[in-house]
Amino acid sequence: MPQSAEKILDHAPLFREPEYRQMLAEKKLNFECPHQDQAVTDQHEFTKTWEYREKSLAREALVINPAKACQPLGAVFAAAGFERTMPFVHGSQGCVAYYRSHLSRHFKEPASAVSSSMTEDAAVFGGLKNMVDGLANTYKLYDPKMIAVSTTCMAEVIGDDLRSFIENAKEEGSVPRDFDVPFAHTPAFVGSHVDGYDGTVKGILEHFWKGKQRTEASGTINIIPGFDGFCVGNNRELKRLLDLMGVSYTFIQDASDQFDTPSDGEYRMYDGGTKIQDVRNALNAEATLSLQHYNTRKTLLYCEEVGQATAAFHYPLGVQATDEFLVKVSAISDKEIPEAIRLERGRLVDAMADSQSWLHGKKYAIYGDPDFVYAMARFIMETGGEPTHCLATNGTPAWEAEMKELLASSPFGKDAQIWAGKDLWAMRSLLFTEPVDLLIGNSYGKYLERDTGTPLIRLMFPIFDRHHHHRFALMGYQGGLRVLTTILDKIFDKLDRETSKTGVTDYSYDLTR
Amino acid sequence: MRSGVAAGFSVRLVVFSMDLETGTMSSLKAKIQDVFNEPGCEKNRGKDAKARKKGCTKPLTPGAAAGGCAFDGAKIVLQPITDVAHLIHAPLACEGNSWDNRGAASSGPTLWRTSFTTDLSELDVVMGQGERKLFKAIREIKEAYAPPAIFVYSTCVTALIGDDIEAVCKRAAEKFDLPVVPINAPGFVGSKNLGNKLAGEALLDHVIGTVEPDDAGPYDINILGEFNLSGEFWLVKPLLDRLGIRVRASIPGDARYLDVASAHRARATMMVCSTALINLARKMEQRWDIPFFEGSFYGITDTSEALRQIARLLVKKGADPEILGRTEALILEEEAIAWKKLAAYRSRLEGKRVLLNTGGVKSWSVVHALMEIGIEIVGTSVKKSTPEDKERIKKILKHENHMFETMAPRELYAMLSKHQADIMLSGGRTQFIALKAKVPWLDINQERHQPYAGYAGMVELVRQIDLSIHNPIWRQVREAPPWDFQTSMKDEPPSSKSKTATVQGFKKFAGTTADDFGEC
Repeated sequence: MPQSAEKILDHAPLFREPEYRQMLAEKKLNFECPHQDQAVTDQHEFTKTWEYREKSLAREALVINPAKACQPLGAVFAAAGFERTMPFVHGSQGCVAYYRSHLSRHFKEPASAVSSSMTEDAAVFGGLKNMVDGLANTYKLYDPKMIAVSTTCMAEVIGDDLRSFIENAKEEGSVPRDFDVPFAHTPAFVGSHVDGYDGTVKGILEHFWKGKQRTEASGTINIIPGFDGFCVGNNRELKRLLDLMGVSYTFIQDASDQFDTPSDGEYRMYDGGTKIQDVRNALNAEATLSLQHYNTRKTLLYCEEVGQATAAFHYPLGVQATDEFLVKVSAISDKEIPEAIRLERGRLVDAMADSQSWLHGKKYAIYGDPDFVYAMARFIMETGGEPTHCLATNGTPAWEAEMKELLASSPFGKDAQIWAGKDLWAMRSLLFTEPVDLLIGNSYGKYLERDTGTPLIRLMFPIFDRHHHHRFALMGYQGGLRVLTTILDKIFDKLDRETSKTGVTDYSYDLTR
Repeated sequence: MRSGVAAGFSVRLVVFSMDLETGTMSSLKAKIQDVFNEPGCEKNRGKDAKARKKGCTKPLTPGAAAGGCAFDGAKIVLQPITDVAHLIHAPLACEGNSWDNRGAASSGPTLWRTSFTTDLSELDVVMGQGERKLFKAIREIKEAYAPPAIFVYSTCVTALIGDDIEAVCKRAAEKFDLPVVPINAPGFVGSKNLGNKLAGEALLDHVIGTVEPDDAGPYDINILGEFNLSGEFWLVKPLLDRLGIRVRASIPGDARYLDVASAHRARATMMVCSTALINLARKMEQRWDIPFFEGSFYGITDTSEALRQIARLLVKKGADPEILGRTEALILEEEAIAWKKLAAYRSRLEGKRVLLNTGGVKSWSVVHALMEIGIEIVGTSVKKSTPEDKERIKKILKHENHMFETMAPRELYAMLSKHQADIMLSGGRTQFIALKAKVPWLDINQERHQPYAGYAGMVELVRQIDLSIHNPIWRQVREAPPWDFQTSMKDEPPSSKSKTATVQGFKKFAGTTADDFGEC
């Protein structure tokens, strides 16, 4: 056997040993009834053609590799951004295990969430009993300050009514009468995780604000970051900028500490997050700003209803988008943007100018959440790149219209195409038929990278196969610098790889680039 | 230990001063005088004897920013010889800091990019073990790499402590039956340009003429001072191939040792960068009767002219005159293609204002090609242009004062920050003057990554100008942050900026920075 105690082989090299290769080949030949190699190759080649692309884009029923997640994931993420809040998903527990592992694999942190563990009898007779028991157990076991309830498809299909269920549970003494149990219906068969985020934040605000008297505190601002896999880096960076300006602000939903706890011997089931009292006070803010429009459409409407001014951004990243955000904050808070921030801006612009020759005319395919794709396309155009393919599986017609307007604003968007509602299998065809230099997305893009040879830049949730990226900001001028560097690294790495063949291409394997 | 070092140095310094009078240093001194007295150099001929003795390079000014040293100059000229092992006899830094720092390209061997140094330590310096270490290093290179030749570079430290690299090289060459060439251009003897010339001298003394080629023919030429930066000579070579002209030796770009060693059998020489290697061209003419001309592959007309000159010289030396006709036919064809390609950029670049600030890329020809597609030249340096070129440039430029010998960084900055140019083409040295003055910049010197030689290279240059000018970052660079324009922020939505405000803001911003910047 190739494996020996002297030198243990990892699985990657182990199964390349001749014994295993032979074994696997024979298994394939004798038991799998494989197609002829030629047939496989032909089919593979066919999937690269325009003809296949047209067929693939015309798909009506089948979705292959969607670049979106479901509402309750957004709900769990949203709930994690409040003080000692346990996300409680009413429905089947398997779904909740997925959300936890999803968040955990991305943030490399424990992710707590519970479910009401509905089973078959609950499906038949309704999940009230599960809610009553579930809230009681959660309250006793995990000592939360708030339980934020959302739903899985199962509860939605049978039509469980959260408002009355929670009311009943309180009647039965699951939790004290005045214990905070905000809720949101988050069916996975509607929208995506960005809508689950929206619903949950709105549910929490409604829970605390409804029927309360609002006394406007002039110049104060609420900030809702939206579903953001980079919240750890982004929220801290934005707070730094706001502190530099001296703005009075409240982050509504802030998971930056929850998903970045230190290793100091203490396990924190809950860490950081928006204080309950701050959520109550946030009613009095002059304005609520959303960093991601498509994550907060309903929430912002509600904020307007209670009398607040609102403004929504698309993931403020790069020069212009950060400018707009800061100018808005400055206008509302009446605080000037200090010299320190001006210098940061100048440095980003300087860096972009230094590297422009390497970025100019590069073509990109970008996929991810609607606001992120918007932000990236905008930044790419700022660097002189072309966002050839902009794809959001959870992109709406409204998003498509906004993207069109953005792309029309720059000559670099002239040939760009918008793909709302399309999946990553469609992206594969796009990459084969109209190739680009770089692909920007999340870890799922690695299969596209492998198939099409397009280098992948991971800047979008989830990132499972690379560590700690989310700890560094993408937003603001500092974030822009980081995105810029990441893109450049990819370009230079590729160039080095392509020019590294000794005696063949290494005439361009340069020390200085 | 510290006092020990000091003592060691003082002892060595005595040796050094003695050497100046007698040993290797005195021969170096004579060599430098010889190099300075360059009859091939037009400028030099105009000088009186005293001025000539002073040398042709500007004296170094202590305390003022300066360029590279003679060692650097010698290494620049020789290192692109690709199959040679270049051994730097010095403490680590001479090689460490200059390792692989130029973008010359090789079509084969990669040995030239491997860093060889004797890495002298304190003990070696104090104990005088440099020569022994050098000899050992040569042996180890021979054993590990078996290169066709080893070039040994002396440096400040090894020259000061009196290591006789010429003797070591001589002994090593005998012992290992291998050309071991001493390059005697320690940093302190002078400027980079002097180092270029000393490198040429080393080739004359030890390399060229040491090997007889068995295939010399009537269409063999040398190209001197062509560095094959970014592989740009490969844009020219196919043209020569089509004419049946063989490049016996291109010194130094993509050269092989044996090619250089047998360069004396070429029939004609084209001198590309005359300031670097004019002495080499002239002495090769003197010794082996190889006529040379100064030409350039930058720009369309210059490329054509270079091809014509090569053909003419070959005919003069006995080649069949029919090559003249073939050359004209090729020029006609290639020029037509290039102009057609360039015309495609007219709509994008017409009226754009270019400032050329360079010595290396011959101005006239590039100016001519740029103007041909509607680009306006708002300034060009003519430092390395011939008088005829200067006349031609004068004729085609609107204003005579757009021509300058050199421009001080301060003037350059003032001009750029007043937005009098849309792009500056220059070397890396003035890169940041342009960028900080908010003007696009294109590298046309050795660090660049695009080949600009020949017809195809000129098209590439224009393409790069197009890309640089039209990068959207420049708008960001020129505009102040939006919050500067908003007197009453509450009244205006975040993204709207009135046009007049932008212009005023820009002027204000540019004005203050220009004044605050001072000397750069």
